[in-house]
Amino acid sequence: MLRKAIALDAASFTLHNSSGLCEDKSCQSKAGIGNQTIRQYEARNEMIRKLVYGMKLVLGRNAPGNRLKIYEDDVFIVSYPKSGNTWTRFLIANLIYREKHPDFSNINELIPDPEVLAKRILDRLPRPRYIKSHQYFDPRYPRVVYIVRDPRDVVLSEYYFDIKRRAIADDYPLHQFVSRFVRGEVNHSYGTWGENAATWFYARRSDPRFLLVRYEALQSRAMDELGRIASFLGLSADREQLSFTVEQSSADRMRELEKKQAHLWSSTRETRKDKPFVRSAKAGGWKTELPEAGVAAIESAWGGLMREMGYELALLSSVHADSEL
Amino acid sequence: MFYSVKKLLTNALGMDIAGSALAVRPDDTFVVSYPRSGNTWTRFLIANLLHPQEPATFLNIGRFVPDAEVQSSHYMRRIPSPRVIKSHTYFDPRYARVIYVVRDPRDVAPSEYDLLRKYRRIEDSYPLARFIDDFVSGAGSLASAGWGTWGENVASWAFARGARQGFLLLRYEDLKACPKQELARVAEFLKIDASPERLQGVLDRSSADSMREMEKKQDWGSTKNKNKRSDIPFVRTASVGGWTRRLGAESIVKIESAWGHIMAQLGYKTVTSALGNDHRTLLDVLGLPGC
Repeated sequence: MLRKAIALDAASFTLHNSSGLCEDKSCQSKAGIGNQTIRQYEARNEMIRKLVYGMKLVLGRNAPGNRLKIYEDDVFIVSYPKSGNTWTRFLIANLIYREKHPDFSNINELIPDPEVLAKRILDRLPRPRYIKSHQYFDPRYPRVVYIVRDPRDVVLSEYYFDIKRRAIADDYPLHQFVSRFVRGEVNHSYGTWGENAATWFYARRSDPRFLLVRYEALQSRAMDELGRIASFLGLSADREQLSFTVEQSSADRMRELEKKQAHLWSSTRETRKDKPFVRSAKAGGWKTELPEAGVAAIESAWGGLMREMGYELALLSSVHADSEL
Repeated sequence: MFYSVKKLLTNALGMDIAGSALAVRPDDTFVVSYPRSGNTWTRFLIANLLHPQEPATFLNIGRFVPDAEVQSSHYMRRIPSPRVIKSHTYFDPRYARVIYVVRDPRDVAPSEYDLLRKYRRIEDSYPLARFIDDFVSGAGSLASAGWGTWGENVASWAFARGARQGFLLLRYEDLKACPKQELARVAEFLKIDASPERLQGVLDRSSADSMREMEKKQDWGSTKNKNKRSDIPFVRTASVGGWTRRLGAESIVKIESAWGHIMAQLGYKTVTSALGNDHRTLLDVLGLPGC
């Protein structure tokens, strides 16, 4: 009974999701569904979703998301989506749970995602817990490793990921996607890239319980940055451990694992097999791939913040970018 | 298990407190601030702006500018658009239109201390200096507060939204020093075309004196706080700079070393350091009119 309900929930979630992403009219008429029908579907799905959530809630099988009970020794691995969060999860998992051979089949249990894992499992994890999150600032998070990545690369990564998860078609115009990204429509529940980064950065930057990690630094000096993360977490790690961890979490190894285990991981399970989750894993791809208008849109939206976080602007003068702060 | 069943039932009946689960509408305007920063005063100003025919009181303010953290989802749903809603929350990306009120944290702290004593959350014997530790760390007597610390609340809003459209930053101190000018900014933000006479009327009806008089007669929030003390008023001194007399040097240093960088950006001159001297501050960037 419950299993059936959960399956229904998954189905309704997919439907809800796809209708939400189907924004332009051509897309809707292509699907041959009128607005009326969509609304009826949504109303019914909303009701089913609520019922299923209620049952799960009573049985502790719900993914708590924002309602997660937080302990004071919890550590949160936070970033905007597509900013190296999964990579950092692998690094930290390989550092702490080496004997468990972290891979895509167990990463959700080792460094759990409260939006995916059930409450009753989250409540029983060994402490301190290391928890993944994409949330904008939340004052309840006691210790935070925040990973920030150049938004000009983030938008490209998100674009390819949305093709992989069938949210947009292969030929969806990139410039249109950039506009939606800047307006915060792509990951609306996590705020815009700027809101996510600025809220954490300015609210916690001088707090000893906050560590800012730049994706680009993690790329170019993995050992040093991992060492910094380890000491922030109070873990003693020698060079051998650090280099083993970096090797175990390399893009090549993660690509190999993805090939074998994509069906075992919630983020890749129902996505296209012809597109990888672990993509280029490089910094600066935007310089060749992102059209100038896209660069301009991002820099005029967040230029001041980008400069503050160490990203050099390509198009805007500093005076211009400051107007946004 | 009992808790979750109870939650399920209140949810189904719409009796749950709206809070962070509030269904936000794109045309909602939120009056946001850390507590004790002039939020209630701003609510009165706005209510008197919007409803010239019915002066705002402590009895109708919850209807004119409702508090989503007090009202049920059902109540919030029934209010016609556009709504103006009060909030103390830290950053929420769903809030499209925000009037954010900020006040010097050195004045906020003693005010919050007095309010917590009024509501018997702390005793008179709880030292102010110890409260300042709680105020800065967000722990101790403020551990259960859901709005973050002063610095977290202010920084998460001011820097994420800054000079963007749909965000109006008000400084409590400017509201005190040049109320008419600041009220005109609020009216413009709310797209209300108000004459200088109307603005003056709004200010008179929302003055600290008139709010103090109303507080004496109107038992505000009595359902929630039956146990509150009447010897400490809610509408307190309504003044700027009281901290110089009330806070000890150690407390001042604690607040400034925690948030000096944010305070400097907002034009609050720190006395322990000379932060932000030669740099453009957030205030410069926003181009607030000043007095």
